[in-house]
Amino acid sequence: MAWWRRLVESEHLVLGLAVVCFGVMAPFTPGLTSGENLANLALTLLPLYMVAMGQTAVMITGGIDLSVTSIMAVASVLGAAVMSGEQGWLAGHPLAVPVGVLAMVGVGAVMGGLNGAAVVGLRMPPFIVTLTSMIFFSGLAVWVTNSQNIGALPAAFNAIGGRAWLALLVAVPLAVAMHLVLQRTVWGRWLFATGQNARAAKISGVPVGGVVVSAYVVSGLLAGVGAMMYTGQAESGSPVLGQRLLLDIVGATVLGGTSLFGGRGSVVWTLYGVLFFKLLDNGLNLMGLSHYNIMLIKGAVILVAATADAWRRRSTS
Amino acid sequence: MMLWICAALAGLWVAGGGCQKSDSNQAGGQPGMTIGVSFETLQTEFWVAALGAFKAECGRRNIKMIQAIADGDANRQIEQVRNFITRKVDGIVMVPKDAKACLPIIKAANAANIPMVLFNRPPEKSEARSVAVVADNFELTRETVRWMIGEARKTGRKHKAMVLIGDLGDINAIGRRDGFDAAVKEAPEVIEVVARIPTEWSQEKAQAGVVNAFQANPDISFIFTSSDSLLPSIVSALKATGRYKKAGEPGHVILGGFDGDATAYQMLVEGYLDATGVQDVYFEVKACLQAIEDLRGGKVVPEVIKDPGFVIHQGNLKEMAPRMWGANVKR
Repeated sequence: MAWWRRLVESEHLVLGLAVVCFGVMAPFTPGLTSGENLANLALTLLPLYMVAMGQTAVMITGGIDLSVTSIMAVASVLGAAVMSGEQGWLAGHPLAVPVGVLAMVGVGAVMGGLNGAAVVGLRMPPFIVTLTSMIFFSGLAVWVTNSQNIGALPAAFNAIGGRAWLALLVAVPLAVAMHLVLQRTVWGRWLFATGQNARAAKISGVPVGGVVVSAYVVSGLLAGVGAMMYTGQAESGSPVLGQRLLLDIVGATVLGGTSLFGGRGSVVWTLYGVLFFKLLDNGLNLMGLSHYNIMLIKGAVILVAATADAWRRRSTS
Repeated sequence: MMLWICAALAGLWVAGGGCQKSDSNQAGGQPGMTIGVSFETLQTEFWVAALGAFKAECGRRNIKMIQAIADGDANRQIEQVRNFITRKVDGIVMVPKDAKACLPIIKAANAANIPMVLFNRPPEKSEARSVAVVADNFELTRETVRWMIGEARKTGRKHKAMVLIGDLGDINAIGRRDGFDAAVKEAPEVIEVVARIPTEWSQEKAQAGVVNAFQANPDISFIFTSSDSLLPSIVSALKATGRYKKAGEPGHVILGGFDGDATAYQMLVEGYLDATGVQDVYFEVKACLQAIEDLRGGKVVPEVIKDPGFVIHQGNLKEMAPRMWGANVKR
């Protein structure tokens, strides 16, 4: 059973699963391997990956950010309110798109910072803090827009979500930078040390409070980037953007191998998780499976991932 | 684990009808046609019944149907409809999550030359080309409320009225609200509207609103709900105040709705509901599939096809029940 143990403990297990599933589904799933479908896959995978990368940073510290979907909604409507050609604050202005993009990313970072400050300052569990802010930010987005989408966004902005090469141009540098920061910088090591044992890290001189706050800032900022891509795809700012995506974000992150208990994670693993998750979604949809069966399979996959995570922890402890 | 997951995938693919066969003995349709049906949600009876009607009608027309449910997420719906386009389906039917976010996918379907028909919800005005099959919410609501007003008039007194309004981001809700307002405006001597409950189609908000309205106006005797799915909230509040009475009994509150779901049918049969405006799901489904066939055949199809629907009430229940989708769900 040594091979089985090695397989389960491998860092690349989920990538292997994704490749095998792609290979198994390809012969009898019309259109799965077409270039058009692979571009679609990239367009749907990248925004989820951006948000899941932020979630990875938070989870490495031992926390969780349930508010990312609400941050995305606020960022979406704020950016759209800036750029909209109908009622936007900078309608028709040449700086509308850059200011709108900055507003989306900036508001995400600020809201993430508020989450982090509450977790550290109030010494409250991240679950409760981000659950509360999820409800608050979600209500805020619906209230300021009166539950209405904001359309007429500039074509240049919509292209970020609608063209695969442009989305890749945004996502790849961010992913590479995030990977290098986590693996090669002092901040990255502090993040892992905080997640493994916050008390020991503090005694060793790690500024645990600042590290935790910064992880939530990164999570909010990347939620803003994800919102930018999703908003571009839908060509409208939505106060309920991402409302149903939390399962995918947390599920894909955990599926990749980032531990719910902190101290273990990687944005490369998260890429594997997101890839597998979206590949499953994509393939199952192309097969014409019913909604209920797709949900059953996705639920089963998360259960398997959580089991594997517990197994890894036991075997490495 | 890999084997386990792949086996599960294969099993569920077979169990889930991934290899659905069309009935070649059935008449109609274009041979070998495949359509994609994308629903925003399956959370209410109406959508479940509509999806069932699509399956049945596709079978009858020898059309293979693939389905996707977006679970209330506009971006997921974009992704799923793109998958339909990748599969090069012959037509797409969509219940959009919202009128604006559906425009990029309609444009994508236009670019791929795939007919796009919107079921029950129209898109926002744009250059994107599609056909929308929608109920005439305004007219059907007005007719339903007019019938209720007729019943109110028979009592010989003035009634205080409450209306439950849907999500005003949904054009269907606006049509129903306006239809109600137009009808009551015609009869100020019979109806005085004292409570307007914004529900956003939520049972919980409806329940709280109805209870508050009854506290403020205990003598409300005329209620219209913009969706039958909110009837349980009204029934609960009426029971709590001891006013849940059948038509003809002293203290009966004149009650009407919209949609024609199974709860409404049951309440009509039992005599608690006076009338409801029924969306003719079967007409709408047939119109969607016919529109796709016509568009593929190069025929001109109007941008909006209206389902006139019908009012079902205590007076025509037996005659109209076979056309009421909620009655068929119940059976």
